[in-house]
Amino acid sequence: MSVPISPVSLTEQTLVELCVIMSGLVAACGGALAYFRRVRQERPPIGTFNGRDVVILLIFIGVLPFVYGWLPVPLVTCLLVLTFASALHIGYRPVLGPVGVWVGIGILFGFNIWTSNHVMGSLPGWQLWFVEQSVLVVLAAIAVSNLYLQGGMKLQQVAWLALGLACYDVVFAAYYPLTGRLIARYLTHPLMPILGIRLGYFDYAVGLGDLLVYSLFFVAAYKAYGARAAAIAGGVIVVMGGFATAFVPFVFNFTNSNLDVLVPAQSLFGPFAFVTYLWMKRHYGRERTMAEYLASRGGPPAAPAPAADQAAAPQPASI
Amino acid sequence: MFETGVRQFRLALGLVAGRRIDPGNVARLVDDVLATLAEFGEPGADAAELIDGPTTSPEAQLETANRGLRRTARRLAAQSPFYARRFAAAGTDLARFGLAGLRQVPVTVKADLTERPGDFRCADVPPYLATRTTGTTGRPTEVWLSRYEMELWPALGALASVLRDELRPGDVMQVNLSSRSTAALHLAAASCRLVGAGCRPLGIVPPEAALDALADGGTTILLSCPSYLAELVNEARRRGLGAGDFRLRRIVVGGEVLSPSLARAAARAFGVTAVEDPYSMTEIAPVSGRTCRQGHQHYDLNLGYTELIDLDTGELAAPGALGTLVVTPYFPYRDCTPVFRYDTRDVARCLPDGPLSCELAGVPATSQIVGKANQLLRLHDGEVITPRQLIEAIEALPGEPWPARYRATADGDRIRLALPASAIAGYGHAEAERHFAAAGLGADLDIVPDDQGAALRHTRSDLHETMFASQHALAGA
Repeated sequence: MSVPISPVSLTEQTLVELCVIMSGLVAACGGALAYFRRVRQERPPIGTFNGRDVVILLIFIGVLPFVYGWLPVPLVTCLLVLTFASALHIGYRPVLGPVGVWVGIGILFGFNIWTSNHVMGSLPGWQLWFVEQSVLVVLAAIAVSNLYLQGGMKLQQVAWLALGLACYDVVFAAYYPLTGRLIARYLTHPLMPILGIRLGYFDYAVGLGDLLVYSLFFVAAYKAYGARAAAIAGGVIVVMGGFATAFVPFVFNFTNSNLDVLVPAQSLFGPFAFVTYLWMKRHYGRERTMAEYLASRGGPPAAPAPAADQAAAPQPASI
Repeated sequence: MFETGVRQFRLALGLVAGRRIDPGNVARLVDDVLATLAEFGEPGADAAELIDGPTTSPEAQLETANRGLRRTARRLAAQSPFYARRFAAAGTDLARFGLAGLRQVPVTVKADLTERPGDFRCADVPPYLATRTTGTTGRPTEVWLSRYEMELWPALGALASVLRDELRPGDVMQVNLSSRSTAALHLAAASCRLVGAGCRPLGIVPPEAALDALADGGTTILLSCPSYLAELVNEARRRGLGAGDFRLRRIVVGGEVLSPSLARAAARAFGVTAVEDPYSMTEIAPVSGRTCRQGHQHYDLNLGYTELIDLDTGELAAPGALGTLVVTPYFPYRDCTPVFRYDTRDVARCLPDGPLSCELAGVPATSQIVGKANQLLRLHDGEVITPRQLIEAIEALPGEPWPARYRATADGDRIRLALPASAIAGYGHAEAERHFAAAGLGADLDIVPDDQGAALRHTRSDLHETMFASQHALAGA
């Protein structure tokens, strides 16, 4: 029996997409900040995030889609299991303990794989799958952003990463539509790295990578300069990552060959994030180090930093 | 962070495989530690294990020792003429060599090294820098070092120092050691360079010149020997200088016995919390020992194997017994003139059985060094008097006669102790003998004029180096 398809206006689609993105933003950025303020991940004895790490990340991000596109789907699933499990284990072991974290990962993954194979034939099934997917993606974004930031990633490096991803998004979403192909190929499979919802016959989603960059930028601004800077960063994220991404299809046609609308969100957000960083640097001065941030919160006293030639630490705009 | 992980992996891989380590890789790890400290204020978890080795697992320590000894013995048998003969004579099975067969190899004594230095040099390494001992035992020993060693040791030293917050960027290290200690000076300067600290190698110059530099030059770390430190304390007191006149945060001395009286006085005079007294020796470098807060001497187990051998039986010293330290630096840390089971003749006491409770409890330890084996006094009743006992007792006299000048000989069950008159000035002969008795030393005193004091016992500070500024007749020459 044929089912009539009701047309959905672009305005309606845009508003739903805005709600999805905003939900993701609030959950990921808010969760990442709460985690950053309350949980300390264990660090290796030596090592802090630096500029070369950003380059390595960008190279990795650039190469990985080709690998995903080339590998058979079951192997892609295995890689995603490994990636998500590592992220969740690192992120939530300090919270749940060594046993609890594996139990949690097992339940999340098991349920996700089960729903991916058994309940996708109905709208409620799709929605259940998307809810689950979204929980996993938000948890992963919170964990990985904190892994980088508590590992010493600075706002400067986040800004450069966002700028690099802007170029990446332009190339791989607009000119060489690899991202769209990957989504079309892997949708419905377990551990799909998107947060979203299905309404009617349409999926509305935002990618894990986007949420990760927003969380990084938001929390890095907080770590570097305090709550006021985080509020400014949040504003940029909401405007460029939320509204601009949702409404830009009114101006530009991002429809691909499957008639999916795929907006290269980072190409909108990245340049503004970078300019915002430059403004903050000019306005607030040097970024706080992790030790200075912890000291400002009355955390465990840090040994004196051997920063003989550093300028005096800025007074945080607010804590 | 990713790069640091790769560097640490490379270092670990080199250690496990027993290959030479890339000193440049270790130097870059020093930069990584500095960046880590700048960001976090302290290193991350397990930093102690990274530098001190497997301190929590006796099995891992045994494995480290067996692997280190085996790979060192194999290399020496192939490259060092002296040890090729020695292992052949001992019938050493190099394929299965380890702790079990270690004591079948005779110890190497200083005379071997002094008389046939060329036989110790490995054939596969070009010599780069010669360093000489100060010759405190009569004849100086010359040890050749390779360029690899001169790059690796400061890198490893700097890595450990920054992780332990012993050396920071912006520190200024003043080195008052003999200028002929070329290796020690080179290592101090190179370690400072890697960390971004300043280094002022002054030598054993007149104490007033060293004190000027300490007070005016922003020195934060002083590296010297106890006898010279004593001269600096005396000079500071003479000039009325106190803790507020210096910026020192660490004083590190070695090469001689440091008494608690002198250590306390130096800490007070220069405003540091304690004077550090690590153990090291040119012949066994880079193996070294550190003193914990409970006064044990702990020996590095990553870089070499240290035994305490009973002075009389040649077996491992029993708890409470005195023994000589016998040290084997591992390849790839020792490269050009390596030694195997080198008998340092530095004597320490074996600690009582049972676990230690100090902050370095996982690292093997003995008592502090009590002196050289040939300076022990054996009384007729069998009691052994160590140089440390004598120096501590003399330097604890109310007249604070630093550095201790004395000559001690055994006289039946008592000690005949020659002291300069100034040592007991204002105290009295009988009172001084009671002071030594209270320290467990039955001593009969011979008091000699002060101008003969320096001849009683030579110290490293006697090797004064002249300067035009201190010899006014030569100024402008």
